Amino acid sequence: MFEELLEDVAQRNGLRETSTWLKLAAGLSAIVLCLLSTGYAAPLFIALLLSAAVLVLARIDLRTYAEFFLVPLWFALMSVAVIVLISGGEHVFWSWDPLPFLSLSITRESINYGFFVLCRVIGGMSALLFIALTTPMTDLFVVMRKVRVPDFVIDLAMIIYRTIFFLLDQVRQVYHAQVMRLGYSGWKESVHTFSMLCGSAFIASWDAGDDLVRAMDARCYDGKFALLGENRPVELRPLCALALFLVAASVAVVASQGMTLL
Amino acid sequence: MHIMEGFLPWQWCVVWWLIALPCLMLGIWQLRKVINADREALPLLGVTGGFIFVLSSLKLPSVTGSCSHPTGTGLSAICFGPWITSVICAIVLLFQSLFLAHGGLSVLGANIVSMGIVGPLVGYAVYRLLKDTSVNIFLTVFLATALADMFTYVTTSLELALAYPAEVGGFASSFVMFMAIFAVTQLPLAIVEGIVLALVFKYIVALKPDILIRMKIFSEAQITAARGEA
Repeated sequence: MFEELLEDVAQRNGLRETSTWLKLAAGLSAIVLCLLSTGYAAPLFIALLLSAAVLVLARIDLRTYAEFFLVPLWFALMSVAVIVLISGGEHVFWSWDPLPFLSLSITRESINYGFFVLCRVIGGMSALLFIALTTPMTDLFVVMRKVRVPDFVIDLAMIIYRTIFFLLDQVRQVYHAQVMRLGYSGWKESVHTFSMLCGSAFIASWDAGDDLVRAMDARCYDGKFALLGENRPVELRPLCALALFLVAASVAVVASQGMTLL
Repeated sequence: MHIMEGFLPWQWCVVWWLIALPCLMLGIWQLRKVINADREALPLLGVTGGFIFVLSSLKLPSVTGSCSHPTGTGLSAICFGPWITSVICAIVLLFQSLFLAHGGLSVLGANIVSMGIVGPLVGYAVYRLLKDTSVNIFLTVFLATALADMFTYVTTSLELALAYPAEVGGFASSFVMFMAIFAVTQLPLAIVEGIVLALVFKYIVALKPDILIRMKIFSEAQITAARGEA
């Protein structure tokens, strides 16, 4: 029922004290390099490097990492299967025309293409997980303010952030109470119980909002939350590591241009 | 399910960002107006965002057994209108990609268009159409949220099909393929989400109807009538 939040892991990772800008630069440039690459090898190489960084430097446990990786990968496989079936090509291994406007085939080209997209997803996911697992949201709020996102949008994001944890706690309690009372024993009961869960969450969040207004008014809220940005200076070693990573990844992208599986 | 990181070629990432940004600007502009008029609105909008996030991190009692979750955007569209919902959705989608590894950053634009713009627009249109008619308000909520959910996935299929057209039949047949895959899991899901949110609505009407009247979502007479039925 409940998924583990990457955020909980990120709050105690080994790269917590490294400069946020460097971590963001590594993750975002990895995403861009994956998207620009035309061969399957470069995204895999990037995924390897970033996974190593997450597992060794940030000291995230392998099981947790694998779990976060596998769920989206499963969906990626499903969509890649469609791409393999519809994109066509010259060296046909298998084909079937169920409807006049629909023709399914598996060809050498389509397998190559599907595999390439899958590798790109793996590369992109590893970059996303790198950012998510090493940089807590609280650090990103500081970055948002530095890049001049409007104040009230940041405030909104911070209130949403706070509410998520508050609500998840509440929902968890209500959910366990419902399970104890056999609320999810059948499908029909499940739908009904689940609606009550969501309804009470909605009302609870509304009340929380009202309380928040009162609390903020009492503390002279003037439309801008104070943000204590912890100053994490850019250090030499992480900077060198980032530069090395960028060079290696760019070389991989150029070297693997047009590389295919079959 | 959102499109995952790395799935769309970079050209399409750029295209969807370009479509999403003006809508977000419009949303931010409206948001500023609402907040300047009523300071209490900001926390309420914030908790709605939290609510959408929590709702979408819960797994529904699903028919097909797949990992499906409600989107929750329909309810927000009814409460705050589609443009403000798109801003809330953009923040929620960012949190989802960073907290749960659902979605991604380069594809955020595409996901904002499907879940934050098209879905809520459809939901809001249905709500506006049926609001002042004699249609039961629970049925209105059911239709608005179920259709918002459904059109979110129609748009997702569209985005996928545009990026990966089929060799034979081009865009149209690849659209049909992606739709067929989503239909299996999403059609029942959209209906369940509609039922769930209609029941949530019933719960709110029974316990805290003042919220709905204060937000001018339904008139007092309509709520009283609905309470009679409830």
